[in-house]
Amino acid sequence: MQHCCIKNLYLHCTKKIVMFRSSYIITAVLLSMTLFYACDKDEPEIPNEEELITTLNYTLSPMNGGADVELSFVDLDGDGGANPLVTNGTLQANQTYEGTLELLNESESPAENITDEVAAEDLEHQFFFQSNASGVSVSYNDQDSEGNPLGVSSILTTGDATSGSLTITLRHEPNKSASGVSQGNISNAGGETDIEVTFTIDVQ
Amino acid sequence: MQVVKQILRLLLQLMFSRRILTATFYFLFTFNCIGQDCTLLIQGTVSDDASDLPLSYVNVYIQETSQGTTSDDKGNFVIDNVCPGEYHFIFSHIGCEPKKIHLDIYRDTTIAIGLSHTPTSLGDVVIVGNKGTLNNQPSLSVSRQIIEDNPNQTLSSLLENETGVHLIKNGNGISKPVVHGLYGNRLTILNNGIAQSGQQWGNDHSPEIDPFASDKIIVLKGASAIEFGGGNLGSVILTEAKRIEQEPHLHGQVNYSYESNGRGHSFNTRFEKFAPSLSWRINGTLKKYGDRKTTSYFLNNTGTKEANIALQLEKSINDKIFIDFYASTFNSELGILRGSHIGNLTDLNQALISETPFFTEEHFSYDIDAPKQNVSHHLAKAKLKYFITDSQLLDVTAAGQLNRRKEFDVRRSGRSDIPSLFLDQTTLNAEVKYSNEFGENSKFKIGTQNILTDNTNNAETGILPLIPDYISWKSGFFSTLSKKKNKTQFNLGLRYDFEHQNVLTISNTTPREIIKYENNFHNLSGLLSLKYDITNTQSISLNTGYTTRNPGINELYSSGLHQGVSGIEEGQINLKAEKALKITLEYKWLPSADFSFNALVYNQSFNDYIFLNPQDEVRLTIRGAFPVFKYEQTDANIFGIDVSTQFTIAHSIIGTLKYSYLKGQDTENNQPLIFMPPNSLSTSFVYRTNTPLSLSESAKIDNIEIELTNRYVFEQKNILAEQDFVSPPPSYNLIALKVSADMIFSGNKLRFFCKVDNLLNTEYRDYLNRQRYFADDLGISIVSGVNYKF
Repeated sequence: MQHCCIKNLYLHCTKKIVMFRSSYIITAVLLSMTLFYACDKDEPEIPNEEELITTLNYTLSPMNGGADVELSFVDLDGDGGANPLVTNGTLQANQTYEGTLELLNESESPAENITDEVAAEDLEHQFFFQSNASGVSVSYNDQDSEGNPLGVSSILTTGDATSGSLTITLRHEPNKSASGVSQGNISNAGGETDIEVTFTIDVQ
Repeated sequence: MQVVKQILRLLLQLMFSRRILTATFYFLFTFNCIGQDCTLLIQGTVSDDASDLPLSYVNVYIQETSQGTTSDDKGNFVIDNVCPGEYHFIFSHIGCEPKKIHLDIYRDTTIAIGLSHTPTSLGDVVIVGNKGTLNNQPSLSVSRQIIEDNPNQTLSSLLENETGVHLIKNGNGISKPVVHGLYGNRLTILNNGIAQSGQQWGNDHSPEIDPFASDKIIVLKGASAIEFGGGNLGSVILTEAKRIEQEPHLHGQVNYSYESNGRGHSFNTRFEKFAPSLSWRINGTLKKYGDRKTTSYFLNNTGTKEANIALQLEKSINDKIFIDFYASTFNSELGILRGSHIGNLTDLNQALISETPFFTEEHFSYDIDAPKQNVSHHLAKAKLKYFITDSQLLDVTAAGQLNRRKEFDVRRSGRSDIPSLFLDQTTLNAEVKYSNEFGENSKFKIGTQNILTDNTNNAETGILPLIPDYISWKSGFFSTLSKKKNKTQFNLGLRYDFEHQNVLTISNTTPREIIKYENNFHNLSGLLSLKYDITNTQSISLNTGYTTRNPGINELYSSGLHQGVSGIEEGQINLKAEKALKITLEYKWLPSADFSFNALVYNQSFNDYIFLNPQDEVRLTIRGAFPVFKYEQTDANIFGIDVSTQFTIAHSIIGTLKYSYLKGQDTENNQPLIFMPPNSLSTSFVYRTNTPLSLSESAKIDNIEIELTNRYVFEQKNILAEQDFVSPPPSYNLIALKVSADMIFSGNKLRFFCKVDNLLNTEYRDYLNRQRYFADDLGISIVSGVNYKF
């Protein structure tokens, strides 16, 4: 609809240059103005948010037997709207877990696996794990093509019973060769944060 | 060189018109002069336009022959032994804009010339029209000479040195002007009479105007700019291309400059020719900059590229009808400091404590990668002036604008090549104005402006848009009356604006759906101003203006993450119009051509002032926590003082002092307004030689000038610690040195200049530069340029 309106004005403009009588010009301009008012905006196309990460799942499988622990952060509508849903977990004391990260875009159907996108650009990504619960530590269980850690696969060990938080961060374009970064120290990593979620963990 | 010029002229003639015969005629004509009876005498007087006092030490010369002289104590000058012919006379004086006139000399001739002092220093310009236009709003302007001598500057940065004007920057390629503390939606920029449309709401969006295409940039610091639509709250910036001079020759110029910081090249050329059938002017600019540098490190990915063309056509149909057409295209690619592109609040806090920005590399590069902006703006305007009688004028303008903005972020899986923000805006303007000068010194004006804006997001981004799709339709009607009686002059103005908005937003909850909004707003503005001439050299003027401005689309419907500031910005759909009352009081004193003083005090009080208020809540997302900013309303007040003075010492040194003070306060919550310009003081001294330096019979060096400028910017102390992520940077002082000279030879003028910005390589950060969170501002930079005019 609005396109026709614009066309109409242009027609009047061209006319204007040809005719020099002021009354015509004023009429032409005023007519075009009234045309403006009738305009309605076309409905926008809703963008396909294929890059969105809605879900982070951190699955912890105990090496010495027992049930898997599933930590998850789900925010289906992106930045605004409803609050994200966070599922925390309870871990066994003095246990070693194999941790696997999964990133999904569940706004698409079927859900898109973002972990693959990250793994394909492993040189430009790195996960970091930080916990303030005493005895809880996470080490890397995978490598990128240059031998630096990526973090999709990790090993989490617990100590005595305690509780605290576990923060998982994904950095895009970090400086993997900076001091401490390949050991999982985030402070010199730089880059920008694609994901940063914090879980409450209980070690029992 | 004469021959080269003639050949160039001939070639251009061939290129731009088919009148080869005329070209040949010019060619022969110039050589015809030789051997004629060269005994003619040219004499005249030069006076100051403002005070009518005689001007001494004015350099006068004939461009074609390089003959010249200097005016004496009484402003008199004499040039003898002139051959009959057509000449261009050039008059230049310290602190004045040079004046060029074209004269046919066939007998002894006497001329009287008035020169006006560079209006930047006086703040006294006449707006859009002739001398005697009854306008007494405070204003200032930037001349063509300043534009030519600063090819490295943007439209905004050219205004930075003026009182009451500041800059909001995002790095160095992106800047937007602030006048009396207001910018964006509250400040209208008129590009050759057309309200510049585009994404003016963004703090990191610069106005898409090539300063080289204009001859003058004017800032109206008024109480209410009744005549101009566009939602301004008093102040307006106008860029104007002057009318094509009525002389038959082809004229042109070429400017080139190189800047050491950023290794930047700027090239501009302009040609123009008057003809009764059709006069034309064409202007083209190319710029390329690479990474700029602070005192100690490169600012990676801060290069810029620009390519612009402007075409101006003018035609007088008869003595009553005048038509002009203006078309311009502006295309830019602007790199954004890689290290300023961050994720969440954690990243920001890390960046704030880091000495140098992340991603700083040791080598220079011209490459521009994401994050970057690609912006283009196209304008076409047709204007018709119909002089109904000597005193009645009808003005009809129609214009169309296309603005395309693409912003690229660093994204995963090769998506950095897909814009994260992609907006197309089409604007149509239609304007009719009628003015009537009646009685003695009275003028009545009435008019209407209508603007249709169509804003469309491209879904290719794959990201929910920050600004929704909309159509807005604005219709304004105004009327002004000015009258001068004895020593008093008054202006009265009224304006009504209607705005209809048709908005389509996308919900931020799933499933995504389209929500439609329809708004109608009515705005009223009024102006009353009085000017009183205390004596012939002193005047005082008082302006009172009331304006209302309805909330903009961004203030109502913004939704999402603003990457550059790592905050979530949210509009509020129930905002009301904001109301502003501005009062300005200006005192001017011009006792002689050697001294001027200007003081302006202003106060603007707002009801329902719309601003981005940081919220207590922190929004949790999968990318971490983000601060939330909401558009809210409060009552506010902005008070300021602009002072400038200029004085001449011993006819060869001109000193200028400019001071701007501003204080913005949220009067409802009794706290400072954020992002208000800090106070500044700038001083400059220009030394100029009064006598030209002769190189040979036909070549000389003239107008040698050495300029030393000192700019001190105070720390912004009027802010609370909790209002910003970091406290404002400390005050800083920058020194600049410039040397310039004109070389005149065989009728050609070649101007050279070299300036050093930040001469002492001072490390500093500026409060209004968003990049200050991440990096220092620019270190030393040397700009040298050459300008050839014929």
